[in-house]
Amino acid sequence: MAGIEDQEKLLEDAIGVVKVQALQMKHCLDKSKLMDALKHASTMLGELRTSLLSPKSYYELYMAITDELRHLEIYLLDEFQKGRKVTDLYELVQYAGNIVPRLYLLITVGIVYIKTNPCLKRDLLRDLVEMCRGVQHPLRGLFLRNYLLQCTRNILPDNPDDSSTDEGTVRDSVEFILMNFAEMNKLWVRMQHQGHSRERERREREREELRILVGTNLVRLSQLESVTLDKYTKLVLPGILEQVVSCRDAIAQEYLMECIIQVFPDEFHLQTLNAFLKSCAELQNGVNIKNIIISLIDRLAAFSQRSDGVGGPGSPNQLSGIPQDIQLFDVFSDQVSTIVQTRQDMPLEDIISLQVALTNLAHKCYPDRVDYVDKVLLNTHQIFQKINTETLEYNSAVSRELSRLLKIPIDNYKNMLTVLKLKNYRPLLGYFDYEGRKLLATYIVTNILENETLIPSPDQVDAILLMIAPLIQDQQDHTAEDDPEEFAEEQGLLGRLIHYFKSEVADEQYMILSTARKHFVTGGSKRVRYTLPPIVFQAYQLAFTYKNLQKEDDMWQKKCQKIFQFCHSTITALLKVELAELPLRLFLQGALAIGEIRFDNFEMVAYEFISQAFSIYEDEISDSKAQFAAITLIIATFEQMNCFGEENAEPVRNQCALYASKLLRKPDQCRGVATCSHIFWSGKSLSTDGKEMQDKNKVLDCLKKGIRIANQCMDISVQVQLYIELLNHYIYFYEKGNTAVTVQILNQVISKIKDELPNLEISEETEQIQKHFANTLDHLKNRIESPEAETQSYEGLVL
Amino acid sequence: MDTMGKPLFFCVIMCITFNLVFCGTTMVILLDSDFSAAAKMFTVYTTSMLSFTLICVPSQLLSNASYDFHTQSFFGFGQSADIEITLDGADSRKSADIKSEDGKKERHLLYLDGETVSGKINISLRKAGKLEHQGVKVEFVGQIELYYDRGNHHEFTNLVKELARPGELTHNTSYEFEFANVEKPFESYTGSNVRLRYFLRVTIVRRLSDIVKEIELVVHTLSSYPDMNNPIKMEVGIEDCLHIEFEYNKSKYHLKDVIVGKIYFLLVRIKIKHMEIAIIKRETTGSGPHTFTDNETIAKYEIMDGAPVKGESIPIRVFLAGYDLAPTMRDINKKFSVRYYLNLVLMDEEDRRYFKQQEITLWRKGEKSRKSQSASPHLPSHLVSSETGFPQGAPTNGPPQSKKNSDDPLQDGESESPEQSESNTQDPQEREQDRDHAAPIEGMQREEGDGEGDDKTDELSPDSASQ
Repeated sequence: MAGIEDQEKLLEDAIGVVKVQALQMKHCLDKSKLMDALKHASTMLGELRTSLLSPKSYYELYMAITDELRHLEIYLLDEFQKGRKVTDLYELVQYAGNIVPRLYLLITVGIVYIKTNPCLKRDLLRDLVEMCRGVQHPLRGLFLRNYLLQCTRNILPDNPDDSSTDEGTVRDSVEFILMNFAEMNKLWVRMQHQGHSRERERREREREELRILVGTNLVRLSQLESVTLDKYTKLVLPGILEQVVSCRDAIAQEYLMECIIQVFPDEFHLQTLNAFLKSCAELQNGVNIKNIIISLIDRLAAFSQRSDGVGGPGSPNQLSGIPQDIQLFDVFSDQVSTIVQTRQDMPLEDIISLQVALTNLAHKCYPDRVDYVDKVLLNTHQIFQKINTETLEYNSAVSRELSRLLKIPIDNYKNMLTVLKLKNYRPLLGYFDYEGRKLLATYIVTNILENETLIPSPDQVDAILLMIAPLIQDQQDHTAEDDPEEFAEEQGLLGRLIHYFKSEVADEQYMILSTARKHFVTGGSKRVRYTLPPIVFQAYQLAFTYKNLQKEDDMWQKKCQKIFQFCHSTITALLKVELAELPLRLFLQGALAIGEIRFDNFEMVAYEFISQAFSIYEDEISDSKAQFAAITLIIATFEQMNCFGEENAEPVRNQCALYASKLLRKPDQCRGVATCSHIFWSGKSLSTDGKEMQDKNKVLDCLKKGIRIANQCMDISVQVQLYIELLNHYIYFYEKGNTAVTVQILNQVISKIKDELPNLEISEETEQIQKHFANTLDHLKNRIESPEAETQSYEGLVL
Repeated sequence: MDTMGKPLFFCVIMCITFNLVFCGTTMVILLDSDFSAAAKMFTVYTTSMLSFTLICVPSQLLSNASYDFHTQSFFGFGQSADIEITLDGADSRKSADIKSEDGKKERHLLYLDGETVSGKINISLRKAGKLEHQGVKVEFVGQIELYYDRGNHHEFTNLVKELARPGELTHNTSYEFEFANVEKPFESYTGSNVRLRYFLRVTIVRRLSDIVKEIELVVHTLSSYPDMNNPIKMEVGIEDCLHIEFEYNKSKYHLKDVIVGKIYFLLVRIKIKHMEIAIIKRETTGSGPHTFTDNETIAKYEIMDGAPVKGESIPIRVFLAGYDLAPTMRDINKKFSVRYYLNLVLMDEEDRRYFKQQEITLWRKGEKSRKSQSASPHLPSHLVSSETGFPQGAPTNGPPQSKKNSDDPLQDGESESPEQSESNTQDPQEREQDRDHAAPIEGMQREEGDGEGDDKTDELSPDSASQ
């Protein structure tokens, strides 16, 4: 075929002829010279005999010509209605020697006959559609039949069957359109097989351009109002499907099936699912059957939702949704599996896509039928088993589809507990490779967190943890190193997840925690630091719960003890993976909790926890800064506790003081000792009956020791800093009413600081120190100026 | 032919010829010596020449009868008369067109077989006085003229009625005549090699030259519905190339009939461009070694555009009323035959033609029955029926309403001289041979590269439908 420029030229020439002939035709019509007008019309139509134009140009020519033909039609109609009958016009136009102009004229005249004489309708329609067989050239035939379809669009009989008239019934219309459709489709398909194979691409493009012509037939069918469900089922659909299946052309089949889905109402589709889907199974291998079925499913699902959405069940506004007697899902499920079985060459990802669509359908139409979704998953599982799939590579098409499939229940139910009801869910996870599994595990966890789903039973916890195992444990197929940030994020999610393992029943909760621990303990050193602490905290919380339940549960004390044993061993597990500070803190936290709860034997257990903390301090913490932090923590914790008898509190206190003074660096020692002083002031024990012990001298000893140690510091700025800090301690105790601390001592410290301050080199640090000091002095000044009633006065303080 | 006329004619011719030779020779001799004498001679010469032309040339061209008439009037010997023939019922009688030998259309009164031909003959004398004659007669002649044998006309009918015994005509006279229930066995026909005509001839027999007047009649032979009218159904093809089955609903069609049929493609391995039905008229004259055949394509009618595939069935519907057709004539008086063939032609993309000819019988139907079915004149007939694919009730349907052909643009070609094609006499024989050699199923012809003007698309436009 000619190039674009040639096309334009050809088209221009043709249009030129059309214009001239059309003008002459109209001229003759004005003069009532009908025969001459027909002659010109025929010459004009002769332009449509060309084989040189591309479909696009041919379409333009066709439009130009049919536009002009309308004048003829209007004229004839006018004449006929005036009563001026032209005898045998229908026969006269058939004298034309060439078939293409002849048939266009025949249609034009035939339509006029039908419009003026409706009793001829049935016979003429049949005649026209039959005579059009004479044009077997695909392009010309398609346009001719399209003209027929266009012309007849408003005059097709649309009466129900029982009204038997000569005008025909809707049955005749259906037959008419079906025949035209079948012929057009044959022509359209034939285009594929004409010409050289190297032009195949262009041919397919051209066919795409022409497909709407074929599809219009189906639109017409759908516009017939008298086509009832019964007729659609028995007449229309079988006719269409037979043609679609028998044409054995992938492009046509795909397009037409899609057309059927789109043009006919959902109510019809619902009743003809089996027939439609059966035909789907018979389509050519090249047909993307997945898209067809998915499109149908989507449509029905949308329909179901739409009909449910209006009014709701029982309300008068409710549309007739999916009728009860149609097992929509079963039908689809059966047919899909048939299709999968019959089409061996169907790519796996397409099969999975189908399952995705099925799942969507199940969800949208039957939101409460979890078993449907499960059935889909089972089928999918069986498919994988059948083809012996082992692992799906991450980001492969199949893997993507499968993860889409598996995400649907998660997204839709927004509740992992429902997902857990799907028995076939977890086996499917096993087909992913590490990346895939991990991704989905993360997805699951995120979903739980976002929806704040509480997991209330140990079994469910177990199940979920098994699903997200890739996050919890090292995997055999895991080779590449994880990105540390990403890893931390994932584990963080896990940590958060644990807080959603929550049962209303305390005993259950315990079971949950121990189940969770069982899983998390296997996670290895990198993971447990994120996952075990939340468990421990949950356990502590559980212990508090038991405490609240003490009236109802006689066994609560034993249970608490068990919980702390559980915590103990959990923390010990953390210790085993060479973590120090974390267990230390957990022990201390545990000790605090025990102190609060006070079950039987609490002192012993608390002491055990504290002593564990000390032994960690001794054995595991060697870094001086860490040591300082740890001891500060221990001191602070101990200061808060009041559950020990004197025989247990004494050694702990001393131990604290000892460790504080034995810190490696002097400043640390100094600060440690200063901190330690608080134990002796606000520390509580059973013997003091929960009141502060307020050992004035010990406090003073500690602070004095601090001064001494500070003295030993070589670095003056550190020294000054320590002095200021100690001064603050002094002031604190002074204000708290420790009589051992006197204004004298304060003055001494202040003067000492004042002596040293000028010696400091100017630096940022010095500035801070000065500021700290100034603030402290300001505080004192405030106190002097506005003394509070209870506190001691600062009389004699020299600033 | 008058026995007295001829010697006189020859005398005159001899005189003039002598004059010519003598004057011519003398003129040439005198031209050197005496110019004025030569000029005189030249005048005589030219006069002789003129008379020769006037007398001899028309006599060559015109029939004997008319030359008699002319010579008489030319020379003005004695009494002369005009003859006028008036046929009874000329005003109410139908007339019909027929082509004359030179292809022009003429219109004459139409008679059917067995109809009485009667009328009145008026003889008017040119001048006062009497006209002596040997008798006055009127003849009804039906004759076949073969163009290659002009001297020999075969009269198959010659009825004579004596109108007057030998005597004298003294005043204008009228005679009534009647040929009652004349048998007219054949239809008038003008072909390319033969003509069958009917005429009335009035002769006033005289001693020297007869006075003759002829008038042409057109005869149509009507047939009744054929008893047997089986459809034509046949499977033909070219092995491994093209197999088709075609069906025409009848084998005998009347002239206003419609050919309905279909073509079913059983095997298509060629790229067909289009398919048409041609109506071929084959006129055969003479017999034995002197047989002449002339083929004329009366119509070409495209019935399919593009290439069908196996299993396609293409409808045929050809309205014969649009074409210039005459009934089939078989072995008319052992002189000639006119037969019609439907030629189904498929053209492939390399312009090869595949065709199959099938004889059909055409017959003329009486027009009376038509009125009975003219209840709804603008009701299209011959529509495809759902059951058979054939027009509904086609066999019993009368012909469509007669049309004023001249008003019909789609038939204008009729008045133009039709294109003569395939008119070489060997053609059919070759085809006959081809047919003999072909295998039973093949009965189809293939011709290489004969587009036959099919690429000239304009030719096939509807206004030349009858080509």
